[in-house]
Amino acid sequence: MKRLSHLSPNECVLLTAARLLDGRIVWRGRDGQWFDHVAQAACLTAEESEAALEEASTQAARQGVMGVYPVVARKGEPPQPVSMKEHIRAFGPTVHPEFSYVPQSEASS
Amino acid sequence: MKQPVGHYAYESRDREFLQERIAEFEDQVKRRLSGALSEEEFKPLRLMNGIYLQVHAYMLRVAIPYGILDSRQLRKLAHVARRYDRGYGHFTTRQNIQFNWISLEDAPAILRDLAEADMHAIQTSGNCIRNITSDEYAGAARDELMDPRVHAEILRQWSTLHPEFTFLPRKFKIAISGSPEDRVAARFHDIGLLARPSENGPLFRVFVGGGLGRTPVVGQELFDSVPEAELLATLEATLRVYNAYGRRDNLYRARIKILVQTIGIEPFREAVKAELAKMDLSHYRLTPERVAAIRARFAAPELHAVDDADAVLAQHQKEDPAFARWMQSNTHPHFDEGYSIATVSLKTPGDIPGDVTAEQMDGLADIAERFAFSELRVTHLQNIVLGHVRKDQLYALWQGLKELNLAAPNIGLAGDIVSCPGLDYCTLANARSLPLARKLGARFGDARLQEEIGALSINISGCINACGHHHAGHIGILGVDKRGSEFYQILLGGQAGDRASIGAILGPALSEDDAVAAIARMIDHYLAHRNEQESFLEMVTRLGKAPFKEVAYETV
Ligand code: SF4
Repeated sequence: MKRLSHLSPNECVLLTAARLLDGRIVWRGRDGQWFDHVAQAACLTAEESEAALEEASTQAARQGVMGVYPVVARKGEPPQPVSMKEHIRAFGPTVHPEFSYVPQSEASS
Repeated sequence: MKQPVGHYAYESRDREFLQERIAEFEDQVKRRLSGALSEEEFKPLRLMNGIYLQVHAYMLRVAIPYGILDSRQLRKLAHVARRYDRGYGHFTTRQNIQFNWISLEDAPAILRDLAEADMHAIQTSGNCIRNITSDEYAGAARDELMDPRVHAEILRQWSTLHPEFTFLPRKFKIAISGSPEDRVAARFHDIGLLARPSENGPLFRVFVGGGLGRTPVVGQELFDSVPEAELLATLEATLRVYNAYGRRDNLYRARIKILVQTIGIEPFREAVKAELAKMDLSHYRLTPERVAAIRARFAAPELHAVDDADAVLAQHQKEDPAFARWMQSNTHPHFDEGYSIATVSLKTPGDIPGDVTAEQMDGLADIAERFAFSELRVTHLQNIVLGHVRKDQLYALWQGLKELNLAAPNIGLAGDIVSCPGLDYCTLANARSLPLARKLGARFGDARLQEEIGALSINISGCINACGHHHAGHIGILGVDKRGSEFYQILLGGQAGDRASIGAILGPALSEDDAVAAIARMIDHYLAHRNEQESFLEMVTRLGKAPFKEVAYETV
C-alpha cells in the first residue's frame, strides 16, 4: 500500500474494515460509526488517521467490525481509493456490475 | 433412497457425524457473534468448515468428492446460491464450488441444508488433506484402464479427519486417475496416483512432490506398482515422512515438493520404505472385501443402447452443423459404442469461467436426470461432464444446453479458459483475472476460429499461488502488481498430463490490453507458420519461445 507519509495534496486516508456478521466492507465516518458506502467515509489527513486508527481498533470488537486498516484515496465525492484492490472493495467487483455498491458513474476512477 | 450413480451412498453414521459437526460449528459461530471468541480464535475453526473471509464477504467452499455430484445435490447447490448467496456459484480447479457472498450468521443453516443432500465443507481449507480429485471421464472413457472412484472414495474416508494429518506443514492435494491419459494432472499434485488393473488386482503408480504455486515442480515417481493391499500403508508412510520432515518455519517452503527437492527422490523413497518397515501393515491392509464393501455403495449405470443410435446421431449432425461442431469438441468416446461422454462448457464466450447461475444449476440437474443417470462431474478445468449419454439423445441434450446458454463448442479450444477468481474476489490476488478471461473468451469466441486454431489451453491466475494453473497452460497468464497497477506475465509451453511441463516466462509483464493483443499475435503467428496438422503446443516445442516472444512484443 502507498505509504501514508507520501500523500499528495489531493489524497486522504480512509479507514476500512469488514463487518463481523456478514463480512461486508465498511468505511469509518467522521463520528466513528461504520458505513456500507465509501461516500460516507471520513477523508482524513495522515496525522488524523493515526489517532483514528488506534481508536477504531480499540472499539472494533464492540462495534462488530474486524481488521481495521487505512486506505489511501483521492479526495472526491465519493473518495476514490488509489489501489485497484481498494477500488474494488469500495465499488464492487468489476465483473459483476449488478453487485456494484454505488452507481457505475461514481465508480470510475 | 436409491444409490447414486458414480459416487458413494452415505450411511446413517455419515449423516449423524455431519449433524454433530454442524451443531459444534453453530455453537462456535454463536460464540464468535457474541464476542466470546476473537477473530484470531475463530479463524481456524471457520476455516475447518470451509469458510474464508474474502474481499467482499465470507466465502464458503463446498467439497465435491472426486468431482461427482448427483442432480439432487446440484439442486441443493442452486438453492444455496439463490437463498444465501447472489444467485450463482463458482466451480474451482479443484472440483469444488465456492459461494462468494455468504453471511456468517447463515453459515450453520447453509451447512444444514447441504447436509440434507450429503454435502459438507470439511477439509476444503487448512493444512490437511484436501478434496481427492479424480478423472472427469471415470467409469465411462473408452481409454480407461480402471474406474478410480472406488479408490478415491477409500482415500476420502482414510483422509477425512485423519488425526495424524489434520495439522500438516501445509495443505496436501491428492489426485487419482485410472487412465493412461492422466487427465487429473497427477504430476502436479502432492501425490498423484495412476491406477491400472493387473492379474493380481489393481496396481498404483505413485508420483510425489508435484505442484504449481510459487515453486512449480513436476512430480517424480515414488513407486511404480503399489499393490492395492498396500495403497493406504504407502500413503500413510509418505504423509508421515512429510509430516515429520516438512518445513513449518517458512510458509513458502512447507509443501512436500520442497522436501522432496531438498533431500532428493531417492532418500525420500528410502525414508518412506523405512517408515513402512516400522508399521503394522496388517492394520492398513486394503482387503478385496473392504474394497468390495465400498464398491457396493456405488450404483453402476444401467446402459441400454439402441440399435440405430449411430444412424440417428449422424442424421442430427448432418441436419445441424452447429450441433456437429459441438459434437466434435465437446464429446469423448464412451466404452459402450451406443453412448458418449458429453462435456458442458462453463465458458460461454464473454462469461466468467466456472460461474453457474442457480437457474443453470437447476437446468443442468434436470438434464442430468433426463439424459445421464442424474450424475454430473465437475472437472478441474471448470466444466461439467455428463458421463453416460445415449448417442441418439445427444441432440436433445444439446438443445437443452442451448436453452441454458451452456452449449459453447469449445472444450480443449481457445475459449475453454481456466481462470481463478483473481482480485475481484480473492484477498491474496495481485491482479484481476476474470476481466482478462472474458476479453480473451470474447476475442476467440467465434466457434469457427477456435476450430481453426485447434487444441489450445489458456490458464490465468491472479497471483503466484497459481489456482488458475497458469504454469500448466499452453499459454499461461500470471497477474502481477507493479506499484499498485495490474500487469500480466505471459508463460508459454506448459502442459499437464503424462508429458507434464512448466510453462516458461516469455518476457516482461504487460498491461491487460497489451497482453490480450500479444496473445492474439502469437496465435496469428501460429496460424500463419504451422506445419500441417501441427498443434500450437507442438509448434512451441519445435521452435521454442523465441519467435513467439518476438511477435508478442513487436509493438510494445
Ligand atoms: S491464484 Fe491467487 S488470486 Fe487466484 S484464487 Fe488463488 S490465491 Fe487468489
